[in-house]
Amino acid sequence: MKNLYNPETVKIEKIEALSSGVKLLRLKKRLDFIPGQFVLAGLWGWGEAPFGVASSPYQKRYFDLIVRKVGTVSAAIHSLRKGEEITIRGPYGNGFPLDFFKGKDVVMASGGCGIPPIASLIEYFIKNRKKFGRLYLLYGAANPNEILIKNKITEWQKAVKILLTVDKPSPGWKGYTGLVTDLIKEIEINPLDAVAAMCGPGPMTAAVEKILKPLGIADRRIFVSDERKMHCGLGKCQHCTTGDKYVCLDGPVFNYDQIDKNWD
Amino acid sequence: MTIVLEKSDISKLLEELSKKYSVVHYQKDKIALSAKSHFFAPREKLFSFLFQSKKLSVLPESKRKLLLFGLDQIDLEALDQLDEIMTKPKEDYFYLRQRKNSIVVGLSESSIIVPVTVGDLVLEKINGNQYRANPLTKTGIGLINNKFFKKEKNPKIFNYPEEKNGLRELLKDSELLAKAVYHSWLRKHPIWEKLEKTCLGCGICTYVCPICHCFSVEDEIELNGSECSRCRSWDACTLNNFAKVAGGKNYRPNQKYRYFNWFYHKFVRAYKEYGKSQCVGCGRCQKYCPARIDIEKVLLEIIKDYQNEKSL
Repeated sequence: MKNLYNPETVKIEKIEALSSGVKLLRLKKRLDFIPGQFVLAGLWGWGEAPFGVASSPYQKRYFDLIVRKVGTVSAAIHSLRKGEEITIRGPYGNGFPLDFFKGKDVVMASGGCGIPPIASLIEYFIKNRKKFGRLYLLYGAANPNEILIKNKITEWQKAVKILLTVDKPSPGWKGYTGLVTDLIKEIEINPLDAVAAMCGPGPMTAAVEKILKPLGIADRRIFVSDERKMHCGLGKCQHCTTGDKYVCLDGPVFNYDQIDKNWD
Repeated sequence: MTIVLEKSDISKLLEELSKKYSVVHYQKDKIALSAKSHFFAPREKLFSFLFQSKKLSVLPESKRKLLLFGLDQIDLEALDQLDEIMTKPKEDYFYLRQRKNSIVVGLSESSIIVPVTVGDLVLEKINGNQYRANPLTKTGIGLINNKFFKKEKNPKIFNYPEEKNGLRELLKDSELLAKAVYHSWLRKHPIWEKLEKTCLGCGICTYVCPICHCFSVEDEIELNGSECSRCRSWDACTLNNFAKVAGGKNYRPNQKYRYFNWFYHKFVRAYKEYGKSQCVGCGRCQKYCPARIDIEKVLLEIIKDYQNEKSL
């Protein structure tokens, strides 16, 4: 019997500050995963917490996590330095349905710290660019400094149409101002053959769905990465349940109509 | 031929068995906690990590096998359910390791109607002085291979019906329970508002429940900072921070949601996942709730209103 609670030790190859409270960690390990899956990263003495993998699924030498300092574990991770070690369990969850996306236009929407799984998904699309239709990323943040992985975004622009928006612009800001939902009128897609992939704050994903659905993207084709307290990763501890689903096993990626009627 | 054990020999048998096993005589009326605590401890160390040498070790299991004696049919049924939960879809290493390192002997004061599918040996009352031995495993057969168990040709066999239990009657129709509980929430049944005010959010119902299995894992550091232990403790979905994520959002922000979740998991989600309620009607939560919430009464009220509404 395998002890699935036993984590693996991995070395931190690189740490980069992405904004005031967000760091990117590059971990030296081959992780075979599907964009949208998450890992439980931990530190002895502090515990474990879930993070979506942000790097390309084709990158076999390392993988990246983007960590916002919001809780005990993430704060402890922020105190680490290059060369130090961290523990990993996973990957867990289902990931985005990549085959289902093939041949379709894809609208990706992200806000706040929801960019990691979307970033990984974009890397996958870019590697298989010809297999997909029009690709959009609608990405919102509080201010321009909170737009994460800017260098990646610049790199992606050749293959993906990227629309950035902020609540509070700063001088020289070239993107949009306002909500992510305001960006939808800027996109051109065939809604009957399009899918949406979202990860971000609940109110944002709900608002985006309210616009995409009337456009003709059915809830079955709207995929959202849900947030709950994924604690054990094995569907045992009960912390991440919503309705009849375990976010750690059945999710974190759900069809919108799988979760929108959940009572919790 | 029936293999019987004299009631008066039970303590001598246990004494004999304790030479080989670490024997626990579980007596329901003497302890609030269910037998689950022997396989899934209220707090247990899982790993130990030494900071200096970076040595990680899985806490070893006890060298002596546990022999848990005295579970009645209801508690055996609960154990069977917990075994299934801890096995599917992924295996819980620590629970199953402890289960494999143990022997379970049931003691039933009522006649066995539905075959028991868990444990190694079940002793079934057949008359005022004797129990019939029903071994279920090789280990169980091994246990009756001693002077305390005797073969008898024609022992007196009486029928001892199960004690009347309203909750267990309700559980026979787990489909109705699933429908009625969910329906009550959709129709904003006033009982949930009422329970929000009654429930103290103490978690006792889940701790005494033989099937509830919510847990949290946290690290414990030695005062001198040399070592840390990763510990698993019981948690309860009725406690206020159970569904709270880093950053502060609480997905079940008030007690109504948390209390309903307890019911939802037991009667609705469990029914969809396993085809039965995660309740065996043992009555512990009713007995030990400090706010005297009686889940049987709650279910009866919900079902009554559900059926009234359906018949309109």
